[in-house]
Amino acid sequence: MSGQTVSARCTDSRIVGRHCCGPDAFLLDVEVEQELPLLRPGVFAMLSPANGTGPELGRPFSLYDQHGGTLRFLIQVMGVGTQALDRLEIGELVTLTFPLGNGFIVADPNRPVVMVAGGVGSAPFLLYARHRMQMGCEQNTWVLFGARTADRLYDAEGLAAAGAPMLFATDDGSQGFHGNVIQMLDAELESGRLPRDARFCACGPEGLLHGFADYARKQGLDAELSLETYMGCGFGVCNACPVETEPDGPLGSWKWARTCEVGPVFALSSIRF
Amino acid sequence: MNVLQTQIGLLNLESPLLTGSGTFGHDPAALAFLKGGDLGALVLKTVTPDPREGNPNPRMCEWTGGVMNSIGLENKGLSYWRDHVAPKLAATPVPVVANAGGHDLDEYGVMTAAFDAMEGVAAIELNLSCPNVKGGTHFSTDPEALQSVVRLCREQTTKPMWVKLSPNVASITPLAQAAEAAGADGLVVCNTVLGLLVDWKTRKPRLGNGYGGMSGPAVRPVAMRMVWECFRATQLPIIASGGASSADDVLDFVVAGATAVQVGTASFRRPDAISRIAEELRTVLAENDFTLDSLRGSLKWPSPVSCSGAASRTS
Repeated sequence: MSGQTVSARCTDSRIVGRHCCGPDAFLLDVEVEQELPLLRPGVFAMLSPANGTGPELGRPFSLYDQHGGTLRFLIQVMGVGTQALDRLEIGELVTLTFPLGNGFIVADPNRPVVMVAGGVGSAPFLLYARHRMQMGCEQNTWVLFGARTADRLYDAEGLAAAGAPMLFATDDGSQGFHGNVIQMLDAELESGRLPRDARFCACGPEGLLHGFADYARKQGLDAELSLETYMGCGFGVCNACPVETEPDGPLGSWKWARTCEVGPVFALSSIRF
Repeated sequence: MNVLQTQIGLLNLESPLLTGSGTFGHDPAALAFLKGGDLGALVLKTVTPDPREGNPNPRMCEWTGGVMNSIGLENKGLSYWRDHVAPKLAATPVPVVANAGGHDLDEYGVMTAAFDAMEGVAAIELNLSCPNVKGGTHFSTDPEALQSVVRLCREQTTKPMWVKLSPNVASITPLAQAAEAAGADGLVVCNTVLGLLVDWKTRKPRLGNGYGGMSGPAVRPVAMRMVWECFRATQLPIIASGGASSADDVLDFVVAGATAVQVGTASFRRPDAISRIAEELRTVLAENDFTLDSLRGSLKWPSPVSCSGAASRTS
């Protein structure tokens, strides 16, 4: 129930669906040959167009959703890698290396869980919410989802359909709380509407993650982060995605851990971030 | 018959395709992505006597046609490698090539002697050319310095020993000839091309260490030229390294004189790249009446041969 381990494979897989879900984002559905068990939230794939020239590297995307042999990824168009994926049409092939990394450890049913997502950082939380709903955790699971504007709350309805209670925040106040998702988290904790003894799981742009890490440390929260470190290969061979480890912490004495292989999800207490 | 069978000196390999050092890990774990018989030898990431933390982030970025990296030889050092990696090598289904790095003459000697003593190491590659670490270019640019380090290492091992050359030189032939004179068994041609990417908006280099090494398809013409020059200038087997990602690229290198070809950056995007290339190679060789041996060095240069000062291969 907490998500099974499947060996990573590299395949050229067919695009079977794509859906716009914001001014700069889309959902990409990819068919793989095998029926997969429900995977751990936070595992990721490296994706790139299978044909044509460039880009030279794949890009990492958390698994957003899965149904049998169809995988769904939430993609925000940011640079050349995501622009190349945006140009692909249904029926075309993507090179997919999957599943990679260590996702979130789905918390014990009795433990409250608060997910904190900024923008495209909602990607790992649909599956996490589904895991929790399957465990019967409707009463102690929350998804906090923030973005600059309401139309950048990507696929908010799809995420809400997983069944976990949701709280929205927008920088411009166009939907939900007026402010960023960390300010909303603070307000909810201060008011006692969210429990401080929850496990807090965060994913989003680097600035948001740093803000979250600072806040969680100050508040003494038990927190996990899914990092956005730039990756070259995604499967542990190129050494381009190091994150600094906490000295004498659970990740050992070496200064670095590879985000792709040891992460991308890290306990906040295990890294210097 | 295995049409990919390849002999590099005394080393008998199932395939001419090798991993490039630094592109397939510190240990054999990533072999799970490849099918048996497709990879000739597993070349592992550089090991140095002492641990090295490597360079600050960002360590890699992409641009049109290539990748820039500045990892800085991050590795946990020889004693960690001896305890944790070497024991896994005996069970590795392909020959393993260990890659040695160092700060000075003595360190290369220490690494070579250590690898010589490890049962699972089939051959040794000397990384004299990593451009991202302080002092790393001396041995790769000065023929006399290169000859002295290769000679010292030669005294430490009877295993096949390859010298990986740098492209960041005015002429590669004196360095190739120095390696041959000092007793190298093969030349790996070449390493990454030193470069710089900047971001005008931040006024900063795009890599944390400033300079980086270019790899990928964009460097293939540079590597191709140097493979040809080294092939003409020495009698040593040449292991090409520089942006190969298809059977055509591999056969181009073979025609320019390569005995084997390392695949590096291509494995980042496709961890099974080597298996795909091997399959393509078998198909091309089956559909034609040539062999790798018959193609090797068969480049028809526009006469008269005009590559700079190179002596003609006599084989």
